Amino acid sequence: MIALDHYLLLSGLVFAIGILGVTTSRSVLKILLSLELLLAASNLSFVAFSKFNGDYNGQLIVFFVILVAAAEVAIGLAIIVLMYQRLSTIQADELKEMKW
Amino acid sequence: MFPTINWSLISLESFMTLTLVVLVIMDISLPKKTNRDWIGIVSFGSLFGLIAFWLTQHNLSGSTFGGMFVMDSLAWFFKGFFLLAMVFVFAMTQQYFKALGGRRNEFYLLLWLALIGMSLIASAADFLILFIALEIMTISLYVMTAYLKSDKLSLEAGMKYLILGALSSGFFLYGISFLYGVTHSTRFEAILGYVGTHAMNPMMLFGMVLVFSAVAFKIAAIPFHMWVPDVYQGAPTPVTALLSVGSKAAGFVMLMRLFFGIFAPWHQEWGLTLAVLSAITMTYGNLVAMFQTNIKRLLGYSSISHAGYLLMGAAAGTVLGASAMNFYLLGYLFTNLAAFLVIVLVFVAIKSDEIADYAGLSKRSGLLAATLLLALVSLAGMPPLAGFFGKFALLVSVIQSGYTWLALIAAVNIVISLYYYLLIVKRIYVDAPKVTSPILVSSSMKLLLSFAILGIIVIGIFQGPFLDAAITAVRGMAFGFIK
Repeated sequence: MIALDHYLLLSGLVFAIGILGVTTSRSVLKILLSLELLLAASNLSFVAFSKFNGDYNGQLIVFFVILVAAAEVAIGLAIIVLMYQRLSTIQADELKEMKW
Repeated sequence: MFPTINWSLISLESFMTLTLVVLVIMDISLPKKTNRDWIGIVSFGSLFGLIAFWLTQHNLSGSTFGGMFVMDSLAWFFKGFFLLAMVFVFAMTQQYFKALGGRRNEFYLLLWLALIGMSLIASAADFLILFIALEIMTISLYVMTAYLKSDKLSLEAGMKYLILGALSSGFFLYGISFLYGVTHSTRFEAILGYVGTHAMNPMMLFGMVLVFSAVAFKIAAIPFHMWVPDVYQGAPTPVTALLSVGSKAAGFVMLMRLFFGIFAPWHQEWGLTLAVLSAITMTYGNLVAMFQTNIKRLLGYSSISHAGYLLMGAAAGTVLGASAMNFYLLGYLFTNLAAFLVIVLVFVAIKSDEIADYAGLSKRSGLLAATLLLALVSLAGMPPLAGFFGKFALLVSVIQSGYTWLALIAAVNIVISLYYYLLIVKRIYVDAPKVTSPILVSSSMKLLLSFAILGIIVIGIFQGPFLDAAITAVRGMAFGFIK
């Protein structure tokens, strides 16, 4: 029987992978992917809580989160394209004009 | 079947959205060659109209959309705050892009979007609305930060802001999911009901810390301050001004709703943590600011230290603390926007933000130098200007709550900050200018500069009505839970 704990464990794992990806990746594209994992982890825990609490608001929230995530990716990709045009690279450590 | 919606409560946001939609439709439907400078003029006009409309709303209170949207005295106070900040930011935008050339019309549309987001944050009474409002504001700020496509610094700032900002929204959402899981609701009222009747537990603590981290990101508190210096330096100056006042105030109104509202019954658990964060934040900001050579970067570190001062009010956790935060933010609005307005006008003339290039500014433009002097001295907290009384009220509030050590650290910090603010003053008044040609300021900008100066001085000397407004805003707060 799969209980709430299992879902939360999975979502925590996905969240941790996302954080790890954001902090260790050099490619901006990979960082953007990892950021999406963070939102996916939150969605999973929303749905799990919603199911086990017997309350549908949590599933409603997920739709809004998906919408926001799409907007964020659109802006993120636009800035990455801009970066590639200007610097011919998408490595995060090339962004060193200012002290980090 | 459907709950009745009270549209009068949400009318301010509705008019903002209407303005934005009309502007967007006209922008895309007019032929490409048409001159589009009218977008700026229409924006200014509707902004003043909205301010007049906002003044009529001061007695409005209640909640609608099934309790997800609330209009109370705190929301009213901050909506006026954001509208006033936008007057300055629109003026800066107009000056800044006139000098740089290029397309600037979409910029006004993005500013409107950010304004709608900020207004909704002030009125949010549900974590879902709060999250969406926060994203509306932040996503438009990402675009504006990276707006100067040909400028490497702007691009770098945009990228860094996007990555760290998205990271903080990830934290925020994950935190909300835990608060929702424990309390079975995202409505502030329901969460306050839970918090008021239960002891702290690990899942709630986890959610609270994650939600606070997103707030700390917005107000630029340690340890979520890393983006501030780079983004402040690289972003177009009007955006920097908006980040330092609008986005910061949006963070503080969130902080008030959370820590003077729904988490207030647990004040004993988080009070000390906020006090320690406040001490570290102000000390770090002031120490690093001393070594800066770029004025926008310096104001970025100064903005970190001001977040530290403001957190004192939250750590105090009393009505006085919250009112002091409101009052301080009001003074900070005039002070900081005056400084940024001068930075924009100087940049337009000399195309540089380096402090070294400000040498002898007083001989090139007396008004600009005087405004910058007043703003810096008020930021440092010298009487009788706006910054002084705000700091005084914050210090009193923490001493009353028993954090005397925090007040002492803040006092030391104020002395440290005097050093680097006065270093700039010395540069503009004592040093000899490299170029002696005068910097011309248009009469409309002279008017706005005088308005900012008036704000700094009047708030500092006649604190009464402003302090009353700040206290009223806190007292009438919905879901407020403070002694």
